[in-house]
Amino acid sequence: MYGMVNKAIQDLVTIQFGEDKWEAVKRKAGVEIDSFISNEGYPDSLTYGLVGAASEVLGLSADQILFAFGEFWVLHTAKLGYGDLLSSAGRNLGEFLDYLPTFHVRVGLIFPNLKPPRFETSDRLAEQVTMHYYSHRPGLSMMVLGLFSGVAKMYDTPATTTQIKFKDKGDDHDEFIVRWGDAMNA
Amino acid sequence: MLFPFHFMLDECMNVLAIGSALSRISPKMVQGSPLASHFRLSRRGQEVLDAKFLLRQTASLIIFESLTSSLFLRMQVLLIENPKRYLFVGSPWLRKVNELKTLGIVLQDFALHDSTVDLLQVQKTQEINLDEAREAVEKLEKQKEGLEQVVEERTHALTLANKELSRAMQSKDDFLSTMSHELRTPLNAILGLSESLVENIYGELNRKQARSIETIAESGQHLLSLVNDLLDIAKIGAGKMDLDLSITSVEDVCKASLRFITGIATKKKISIELILDPNATTIYADQRRLKQMLVNLLSNAVKFTEGGGSVVLKTKSDRERNTLDISVVDSGIGISAIDIEKLFRPFTQLDSKVSRQYPGTGLGLSLVLRLAELHGGSVKVESDIGTGSRFTVSLPWSQSTTDLSPPFKNLGETNLGDASEGPLILIADDNEINLSTIGDYLLAHGFRIIQARNGLEAIKAVRDHNPELVLMDIQMPLMNGIDAIKALRTDRFFESIPILALTSRAMVGDQERCIEAGADEYHSKPVNLKQLVQTILSRLKSTKPR
Repeated sequence: MYGMVNKAIQDLVTIQFGEDKWEAVKRKAGVEIDSFISNEGYPDSLTYGLVGAASEVLGLSADQILFAFGEFWVLHTAKLGYGDLLSSAGRNLGEFLDYLPTFHVRVGLIFPNLKPPRFETSDRLAEQVTMHYYSHRPGLSMMVLGLFSGVAKMYDTPATTTQIKFKDKGDDHDEFIVRWGDAMNA
Repeated sequence: MLFPFHFMLDECMNVLAIGSALSRISPKMVQGSPLASHFRLSRRGQEVLDAKFLLRQTASLIIFESLTSSLFLRMQVLLIENPKRYLFVGSPWLRKVNELKTLGIVLQDFALHDSTVDLLQVQKTQEINLDEAREAVEKLEKQKEGLEQVVEERTHALTLANKELSRAMQSKDDFLSTMSHELRTPLNAILGLSESLVENIYGELNRKQARSIETIAESGQHLLSLVNDLLDIAKIGAGKMDLDLSITSVEDVCKASLRFITGIATKKKISIELILDPNATTIYADQRRLKQMLVNLLSNAVKFTEGGGSVVLKTKSDRERNTLDISVVDSGIGISAIDIEKLFRPFTQLDSKVSRQYPGTGLGLSLVLRLAELHGGSVKVESDIGTGSRFTVSLPWSQSTTDLSPPFKNLGETNLGDASEGPLILIADDNEINLSTIGDYLLAHGFRIIQARNGLEAIKAVRDHNPELVLMDIQMPLMNGIDAIKALRTDRFFESIPILALTSRAMVGDQERCIEAGADEYHSKPVNLKQLVQTILSRLKSTKPR
């Protein structure tokens, strides 16, 4: 995974829990890197190791960590470096989600080693869309839920996300229904 | 949508159609409005946008600049006939990502085939890389500054520690110097008076008395050797022992060393043997220190060998390794393998039972090793309990030194005749025992004596009595020996009077200070009185009459 992901985990732990906790997480994960380089590739195992260690050190479940990371990624990390680009991906939550598949295609073009996930949209309604998430990396659906939550917060639009297909449980991919506005009451 | 930023003009350059994205960000650009009210050509000198101009631009990029915003459009023109139309296709020209926000453009406004977004993202990535590189450099700079500060602080701390260490070393040197003086002064008296008593200078001794005096002298000598060993170890430890290297006769050193132990060995009925390598007659070494090493090893060999045993001193050269091995082999009690490791530690005696039976300080072997190492050599031990031991000192050696003759001299005995006519010697010493010990001995050997108890008295005595030789102690009250020697040397009448400096201080630099001050020779106390007489005679013989 690219260093920006590990850097985001570092920032999340440091900002929300303190520098000491981050050092403890690194120690626990056996990571001796001081600063991650955003556009440098790191083994996925390192990222998973950091998440596992953070879970132990912070006393949170891995799902909680992943969800928090997903939100943090959108609201903090991506915004820091790619804020203008991110906010230009749509004028509202709906447009952003519509553009998400293209956005990830473009990301894959720019970061050839990133192997980003693939998104597809279907069943688009005025305030609802079904998001299909395909990734070779297992166990990250909670992070996707956090990402959607973060995007909704970025547009200041209350939204709900429901996962209806689970790759972990044998489905061929993860599927989520995102609703906002009146659709949330439907 | 293929071209969200397109627009079409008629022959009069009025807007006929407009793309969705362009329409959104330029809402006043409506059908029928003249293009010139919205955009102008951005290239200087090309102000007029007309059909004639456009005909020439079909193969060129045309850049439009918005009159109402910071938008630039990079367009290509397509000519359409019947009716004549000008279709412009292209996209906004963006140099930075934040211009998207400024212009109110979203990524979805761009056609999927348009790589503008990708290029912006690449550019942003590069910016982030640069920022991170800059941050890393700043971080490194800070670390460097921090390190420099740490180095500065450590250097300061080290400087202070060094100063403290120097002070401690100086204190240690001072302590050694003082102890050396304090220990040697009474020893001087013990050894000197014993020697005089043995030679019946104070009258005849009976057998019992003579034996007692011999025991006192032996104990004094033993104590002296311990003091010397201690001082030598301290000097080596402080890196202040300099070797006086010269071409040295291996045979002479070996024989001189054996002489030290022959008496005890004979008493214990231990046979002594010397086996010399005929190929190695000389070695470049400090003769005194080499003898010191061998005497130490031989003394141990005799000490730890039972009566009827043997001690062999053997030399063997190795031309390939360029070494000379000098081995002391005994048939003594031997040393266990575990104990061999402890052998060379100072103040270590192997087991209490042995130390009770064979007393000693445990300094000897430590000194041997350090002296061998000072020579660039080493010491090896091979031993078996009950069989004996072999201690081998390996020293650097070269075949080329063997052709040179050893620089040894023999001193002759001289009969001085009547004491009343003997040479006049001034003894300057503040210690009464030393004065009488040396004085009595010299008197007994036919010299005439005058005494002084400090440097000032010594100068006066020389001027008043014009002695033929001066024995000058260094540590004296009122004026020390060094200053007294200097003062005498500035007087042209006494600039050549033989002066032998005698001092209980045996620290590094003492000898140099005495010689620099003008002394002819330097002797550390306690002096061997017999040897002192020889030295005085030799010096008097070689001095021109004044």
